[in-house]
Amino acid sequence: MSRIKKRNAFQIFLAVQKALFLRELTMRFSVSKTGVFWTFFEPFVQVLVMVLIKVLLFGSATDNFDFAAFLALNFTAFNLFKNIITKSMGAFTANKALFVYKQVKPIDTIVARILVELFITGVIVICFVAIGLYFDYDLKVQNLPMVLLGFTWLVAFAFSLVVLLSVSNTFYPSVGKTVTMLMTFLMFGSAIFYTMEMLPLEIQSLLLWNPLVHFMEMIHGHYFYVLDDGLVSYYYMALWTLIPLYIGLWFYGKLEERIISL
Amino acid sequence: MIELKNVTKYFMTKKGKNYILKDVTFTIPSGVNIGILGRNGTGKSTIMRMLGQIEFPNHGTISSKHSFSWPLGLGGGFVGNMTGKANVKFVCRLYGRNKQETQKIIAFVREFSELKDYFEMPIKTYSSGMKGRLSFGLSLAFDFDYMLIDETLSVGDARFKKKSKEALIKKIENCHILLVSHDMGTLKELCDSGIVVNNGALYYYENIEDAILEYAEINKRAG
Repeated sequence: MSRIKKRNAFQIFLAVQKALFLRELTMRFSVSKTGVFWTFFEPFVQVLVMVLIKVLLFGSATDNFDFAAFLALNFTAFNLFKNIITKSMGAFTANKALFVYKQVKPIDTIVARILVELFITGVIVICFVAIGLYFDYDLKVQNLPMVLLGFTWLVAFAFSLVVLLSVSNTFYPSVGKTVTMLMTFLMFGSAIFYTMEMLPLEIQSLLLWNPLVHFMEMIHGHYFYVLDDGLVSYYYMALWTLIPLYIGLWFYGKLEERIISL
Repeated sequence: MIELKNVTKYFMTKKGKNYILKDVTFTIPSGVNIGILGRNGTGKSTIMRMLGQIEFPNHGTISSKHSFSWPLGLGGGFVGNMTGKANVKFVCRLYGRNKQETQKIIAFVREFSELKDYFEMPIKTYSSGMKGRLSFGLSLAFDFDYMLIDETLSVGDARFKKKSKEALIKKIENCHILLVSHDMGTLKELCDSGIVVNNGALYYYENIEDAILEYAEINKRAG
């Protein structure tokens, strides 16, 4: 009735991504309406709460950059990273029923979930920008290409970690739980509601071991005119992207067949 | 033609390796419908899954120029929260069908599976028979060179069973099947040749009757 066509690897990849993306999106939004609501509302609550805390603690003294915009930018980046990791980590086990279709490779399910996160982040960014414009916030960007590069690199970093994590999570489920827990600590230790320059030197040198700090500093350093990327080590970021990627893909290659026939 | 070269497949048990295939080199000829026979646990389904490339041999290679369906009868691959229609659409997208083809397939599956209004209901509201009907209808909508069927002909009530058998007989005019079944009647009706799986080896019989006799012999020996 409908002939099986010969397709090349890339055509298959595209077809699979399209199918998985739409499926993930429907699943995400059909399971619970409150879930949908929180997906889009959470970032706004995060920003509001942190602005409130700041006003209560330090009064409404103004910085030389817009704190609300600063928070919105940082939470967008951090949530993107966090959601890619926590949501894609379980992609193999959640989608194992789909591996009966031989064109669906386990890694496709990771990519599809990352695409869904990017889509959701895109919608949130549009909301933030719309609100910012409406209330006349100063949204001027110092160096847009570098900010975009920062986001892209962040996604690449998250991808390289999540390949490694989802392979280990498949065979040792406690990995996933630990990582989810670690995310809370990361939120406080990743220069999200402060810049590194605000911190004492000792704490600075400690926190700079955290790769995510470098990504955050890169992104807001290039966004705001008064901030810079002076503390960012691009070399350190590259190490944290390439080494896990190499290890992760190596293990994935070794174990792909076992994951398929789980 | 399906070529198996030095294929070894085992599963680890507490007492060591349990061999499904032990260094099997074998060519399954083209153009025939093949029934796979064997006692429970000898690895018929595993062989099926290996041909569908979702299970892999520990050593050796299996190669073929033909296209294979997903192994039918596992009932997997459906999302409980999505409607039957959405699930059919998903599979069409996986196989790169365009809008027009997808519409045709959806119409066909709706008609064949007789799900009526349930076709637009989430799969989790289906009974297992309904799921089976959907899955069988969906597989008929694609033209593979080989369909891998694992005991799915026992889906639905007597009338639907008859209908699906008739549909399958019509289907195998254009394609071939590899069928795992314990129902000798079905095997005789649909298959030309047979493979008997026993003790890590494959035995090919050009005539399905011979395969059935051998299978009966094995069963007798096992008591």
